[in-house]
Amino acid sequence: MSNVFWVDLTRMSFDNSVAHKLSRLLRESAAPAGLSDGMRVALKVNTAENGYEYGLRPSLVRVVASAAQEATGTQPTVCDGLKLVDYWNGAKGASFLDVARSKGYTADTLGGGFVINGGYSGDEGNLYTCGFPESVLGGVEVGSAVCRSDALWVLSHVTLHPLFGLAGALWNGGFECLVGRERTRVLQGVNAYSFNGHGPSGESLQILRRRALESNLGVRFSVEGRVTYVNALWDVTPQPEYFPFSEVPVAENLGFLASRDPVALDAASCSVLEPALSAEGRERIREFHEVLRAAESLGLGSAQPTIQRLS
Amino acid sequence: MAEHKYEPTKWNELKQPVEGGKATYQKKSWNPTQKKWGAYTEKGPGQVWFAEANATNWTESMICKTKDLFYEAKLNTCFDKNDEVAIKIHYGEYNRTAILRPEYIAAIVEEVKACGGHPYVVNDTTLSYHLYNNMATSQYQQEGAIRHGYTDATFGCPVIIADGYSGEDDYRVEIPEGLILKETYIGRAVAEADAMIVLGHARGHSITMYGGCTKQLGIGCQSKRGKYITHLAHWGDPHDSIGWPKFTDKCPGKACKFHQMCDDSCPHSAHKALEHGKEWHPEKCRLCYSCQVTCLFSGMTGITFEDNYFPNAMIAHADAALGALKCFDKGKVGFINCAIDVVPECDCFPWAGKAVCPDIGIFASKDLMALEEATLDAIDNAPISPGSVAAEKGLKPGEDKFRAINGFSPRIITRSGEKIGLGTREYSLTNYEPVLTPENVAKWQIRPNKPTTVRLRAVFDKHDLTTEVMPFDRSQYSKKWVQEEWKTYDPYKGEKRG
Repeated sequence: MSNVFWVDLTRMSFDNSVAHKLSRLLRESAAPAGLSDGMRVALKVNTAENGYEYGLRPSLVRVVASAAQEATGTQPTVCDGLKLVDYWNGAKGASFLDVARSKGYTADTLGGGFVINGGYSGDEGNLYTCGFPESVLGGVEVGSAVCRSDALWVLSHVTLHPLFGLAGALWNGGFECLVGRERTRVLQGVNAYSFNGHGPSGESLQILRRRALESNLGVRFSVEGRVTYVNALWDVTPQPEYFPFSEVPVAENLGFLASRDPVALDAASCSVLEPALSAEGRERIREFHEVLRAAESLGLGSAQPTIQRLS
Repeated sequence: MAEHKYEPTKWNELKQPVEGGKATYQKKSWNPTQKKWGAYTEKGPGQVWFAEANATNWTESMICKTKDLFYEAKLNTCFDKNDEVAIKIHYGEYNRTAILRPEYIAAIVEEVKACGGHPYVVNDTTLSYHLYNNMATSQYQQEGAIRHGYTDATFGCPVIIADGYSGEDDYRVEIPEGLILKETYIGRAVAEADAMIVLGHARGHSITMYGGCTKQLGIGCQSKRGKYITHLAHWGDPHDSIGWPKFTDKCPGKACKFHQMCDDSCPHSAHKALEHGKEWHPEKCRLCYSCQVTCLFSGMTGITFEDNYFPNAMIAHADAALGALKCFDKGKVGFINCAIDVVPECDCFPWAGKAVCPDIGIFASKDLMALEEATLDAIDNAPISPGSVAAEKGLKPGEDKFRAINGFSPRIITRSGEKIGLGTREYSLTNYEPVLTPENVAKWQIRPNKPTTVRLRAVFDKHDLTTEVMPFDRSQYSKKWVQEEWKTYDPYKGEKRG
């Protein structure tokens, strides 16, 4: 059992706005615990592909960045890697930053230096072991902005995900922290775009999910276990950020959750989200419970969270 | 000054050359040398365009003339529509004041966009040049760049660290033509660009004596690995102090009030202060300059440079510049030197000395060596600025300024550069002067097609704020008062000059 803190969106007031709530969540969940003056925090976020218009608002990222800065006296490094699949064939650092900028993601707005995790090419990083002999991957190359930091905060915009079931802490804090060539290795044999008639087979999805889960172990190892996860149940769209479009959100905004345990956090996010979903939406994340169980068996955390609700 | 006791530096001799992982590292590294690479000028003098640093009307604004030169020198033909165009500049050290003003860079970005290119501004990380260096990590460098006004918002395009978060995102480039270096490493945001416009701030430099566009290529485009190579790390014998710092045996050790700074200056802990001297491990050193510069900046003399180091480093950085140019097809790189704030030292210094001469102007060319020769000649021929180090040294116009100020002639760079194919030193200079016409006045304004005054007509038609508050409260008008009273405040009692 792991603790997960959930701040909902009820009882809004002048001193309990969305930003206040998110700040409070970080305090109550002790997100800054273990940080000290001068420590370098990488804040991993999700930037969106050109055409995807439901990305997390910069002002919400800034709240989390400010909390990290308050704890360390140093601005965090806000980062994301080049997209795993580049729909518009613009996978160069400059194009990536151009798109991010067009969505308001800049050093000025986010409250921390905004960099590409993995440098201009997306391939700058270091190799870390997954830590157990039966590992499918053995080790993973983690992007430089993450692995050269003292601690990692993973701020995930939760969406449905055609490959993983749900894009949350386990996806963003694992696969998404890898360098580009490593993502290619994890993704091997899987077409990431289910909308163009090339949905992957069940078997290839199983392999991909296993690899993606193992990525979390390497990432965690790279920052010596100092990882905090925050999930935003905000504009939960059917498509994740790497898609060049999205249909409308599948649920109303439900708030934010935080934990040190990514499995518990994603499990809690599911349990908060599921009642708000349509039958079709629930069906779409049904398989994600298997992912959670697999994550638990890999020692990534507990799939039975204890949720502490804040309002 | 206190009398110090000096003991010889305690050497831990280098037993054998340092063997790293080169045999296995980046075995499959892309060598991006372009097949069509070549120096721009094949025959005759290189064409250089010049606009002087002065203005008396709209068209002569330095920003407008920089834009004009971009087209006069045909730098717009360096790239095709939809090309990714790197704009290479120096982001400047923290607390540095003599850097290129953001407007010059924004002006070029605007024209690259206007011609259909996709610009992004780049600079590589540096080595740890001194212990408070702000450019050695991308995070610090970005913070410093923002402080200088170098941001996405001011330029209107991404501002990127070319060699990644840690300075390792690079490609190896072979340079068999090099006089010293046979390989180097170039930041990927440079190497992967389709074309590049290099904006150099023409001024002095403590290592290469002068820094313009060649310096932007030979050091500025090099990743951390490239910079170690260009610094000539581990070249020769440690006792010769070419590939290592020079320990002079004049270190007072812990009696030096800067000894802790000195110890902290090395990112590899290659030296430490003893009671009356230094202990030194040359095998740990990678020649980042940090200990030397920290010692020199502190006014001490314990760790310094061997005199012969400088001319060799100048030749090496010309070699490295060739490595950067070889990432592009012939004619895909354009150069602009801004001889503005021509101070004695590099933009990597955390301060700026007085300019050695008045502002000169802007130079533009496709031929690197022609551009550098033209810029250097103009700097040498310029008057001496009072109070500058050039005046302190008693220099006269026409003398080799940076040789006198920094120690060696910058022509070492242009001559060695010419030999390896960076361009021709022979140049033909075209002095550009814009003609004052309505079209030229309008073309570089914020709204060229509609004067602001015409726009304001529409505003005032709806809401004439001046009329609303008339008549203003003020003194009764008196013609005599208007003509005479101000003279009582004038130290010259209204007398006209001359």
